[in-house]
Amino acid sequence: MSTPTSSYSYSPSTCYLERGELIKQGAEAKVFALSSLFPPPKIYNPSSPSSSSSSSTPSSSGVIIKYRFPKQYRHPSLDASLTASRLTFEARSLARAAKYGVTVPRVLWVDEKGGCIGLEKVEGWSVREVLGGGAEGEMEYQDEEEIELDIDTNDDERDVDVQGEGEVEEGNEGWDKLRELGVGRDHLMRSIGSALAKLHLTTIIHGDLTTSNMMIRLTPDNKSQPYEIVLIDFGLSSTAQFPENYAVDLYVLERAFASTHPKSEKLYAGVLEAYAKGLGEKKWKPIETKLKEVRKRGRKRDMTG
Amino acid sequence: MTTAQASSSSTTVKKKVSPLTRPSRRLLCLGIEGSANKLGCGIISHSPSPSNSTTKVTVLSNVRHTYITPPGEGFLPSDTARHHRDWIVRVIEEAVRKAGVRWSELDCIAFTKGPGMGTPLQVGALVARTLSLLHDIPLIGVNHCVGHIEMGRQITSSHNPIVLYVSGGNTQVIAYSQQRYRIFGETLDIAIGNCLDRFARVIGLRNDPSPGYNIEVEAKKGKKLVSLPYGTKGMDVSLAGILHSVESYTKDKKYISWDQPTSEDVITAYDLCYSLQETAFAMLVEITERAMAHVGARDVLIVGGVGCNLRLQEMMGIMASERNGRVFATDQSFCIDNGIMIAQAGLLAYRMGQITPLEKTGVTQRYRTDAVHVSWRA
Repeated sequence: MSTPTSSYSYSPSTCYLERGELIKQGAEAKVFALSSLFPPPKIYNPSSPSSSSSSSTPSSSGVIIKYRFPKQYRHPSLDASLTASRLTFEARSLARAAKYGVTVPRVLWVDEKGGCIGLEKVEGWSVREVLGGGAEGEMEYQDEEEIELDIDTNDDERDVDVQGEGEVEEGNEGWDKLRELGVGRDHLMRSIGSALAKLHLTTIIHGDLTTSNMMIRLTPDNKSQPYEIVLIDFGLSSTAQFPENYAVDLYVLERAFASTHPKSEKLYAGVLEAYAKGLGEKKWKPIETKLKEVRKRGRKRDMTG
Repeated sequence: MTTAQASSSSTTVKKKVSPLTRPSRRLLCLGIEGSANKLGCGIISHSPSPSNSTTKVTVLSNVRHTYITPPGEGFLPSDTARHHRDWIVRVIEEAVRKAGVRWSELDCIAFTKGPGMGTPLQVGALVARTLSLLHDIPLIGVNHCVGHIEMGRQITSSHNPIVLYVSGGNTQVIAYSQQRYRIFGETLDIAIGNCLDRFARVIGLRNDPSPGYNIEVEAKKGKKLVSLPYGTKGMDVSLAGILHSVESYTKDKKYISWDQPTSEDVITAYDLCYSLQETAFAMLVEITERAMAHVGARDVLIVGGVGCNLRLQEMMGIMASERNGRVFATDQSFCIDNGIMIAQAGLLAYRMGQITPLEKTGVTQRYRTDAVHVSWRA
């Protein structure tokens, strides 16, 4: 039960992991980024005049490696089976989604034994970042203690605006970019809705829809739509059989909205509207009925005891 | 959606100032808890620290009496209420005596408003109302879950953790944001404590001191991990399937109950306890980790009755260390339902001027954690 540390067994992906830069430790995996699959080439530039230097922008396609490292808290056999099944499901769903034209990162390789999956890097921002997810910003200041003021200083005016009244924080690069392009929140919500509809039309259930798991990628070449929504993190995905499955998937996102972006909750209606439109009346009706049912049970319900 | 205005008005001051002011004198609160089979009463004091500008919190007394049913039986609301009625006077008297305070010194009385079982809750509320009228002390209705969180934060001095609240009736992953404890993940069906208790009944474990504790003890003798469904759905868990599945193992031909295994092939009750804990707790740790990754938090606080389980604490500790975080947990006197946590949350509300008028002191079986306005935090 207590193998001391994960013995770094050699797998085909190991060399990439060593070269990669750890950009995030998600709940399930460590995410490494690589600028490319090859070591940086040494380029010798002949001192020729300005003929072609500007056009030689290499199409730098970054690579993301998701490494599901062994979780020491879990029983080893439980951990191994979970890791293997999630890895395969993720790869399968991504391949399937891509086949049906849903915008997802490309799968580059799957290393089942090594617990790694290599993906195309999506350049952009997560919807969470753009919407300025409530809880995260506050967590950053967790080291600072709340100070209880002395009663004598009570009369002094205290800064009321300390808890981030602003809906979108400053220095939000993604949001600034979108605003520059004339994209509002409503537009963003509609895009999310239609991206979900597209996914669900392929009968894939994401299983972990949160605003962290949606990326916004700019598409400068496309005039009608200046950006696209890229769904990521398919580790908990599965295939739907009943309207219930779709409804639960939507409900998970609904709750994520409510808890992460308390102030954007009403915007969620826009997501559903676009979703319904993308899916078509016939498919939406049964899901809508189920969604109402799902809302009534589970998390809305209070437990006794 | 006036973003332009918001960004211009946002200040550079990010340091949070607690809305609480330092009390000018010692404040006392008596808390009464009786939402399930534990009846508790405690007295807490908040007093200005003489040396610096902080507030000193002292637990003056914390008395509890638990209604224990015979093996194989759970507690019914009416019987539990009867137990509470029989014991509440003694428990409160004991708490006041141990604290060494007079009734006239108390500033407020806090009671559990919900969630919980209706009839036992009513007993606590009724006694609180009586005492309030008798001694002319204001009342404060407290959300049970918020009580757990506030006491956990106080005891462990963890400032702003992700909270895993696991008990007989609740399984929630909670993070604080904008004056509410927001629920990020929770059980879709039964609570983890309920799952453990019901399984303890099936295999005939005693309810003394608690079924969950007895499972923890027996699980240490388990060796084999049987396969159970693993139901995490995003940040939520589903536990009904795992209970059904582990119960069905007890009807398996290979199941030999508490006998010593004679061959490799058999399944003992120890193995089932072990497997249930390993699988269910792995799910809980996983959803906690998901919430941590989602909001970018580092610390975890475990509260609620199941939070005493050392194996859960250990697993959470390993997970947190893999993320460079810390785990905070409390021992059974504060983890398991108690009166002092109600007093703590009540006194915080009282210091913010929140008082429950008599006509609003009714109890509610359904009272969500995120329904409470947490006025005492910035």
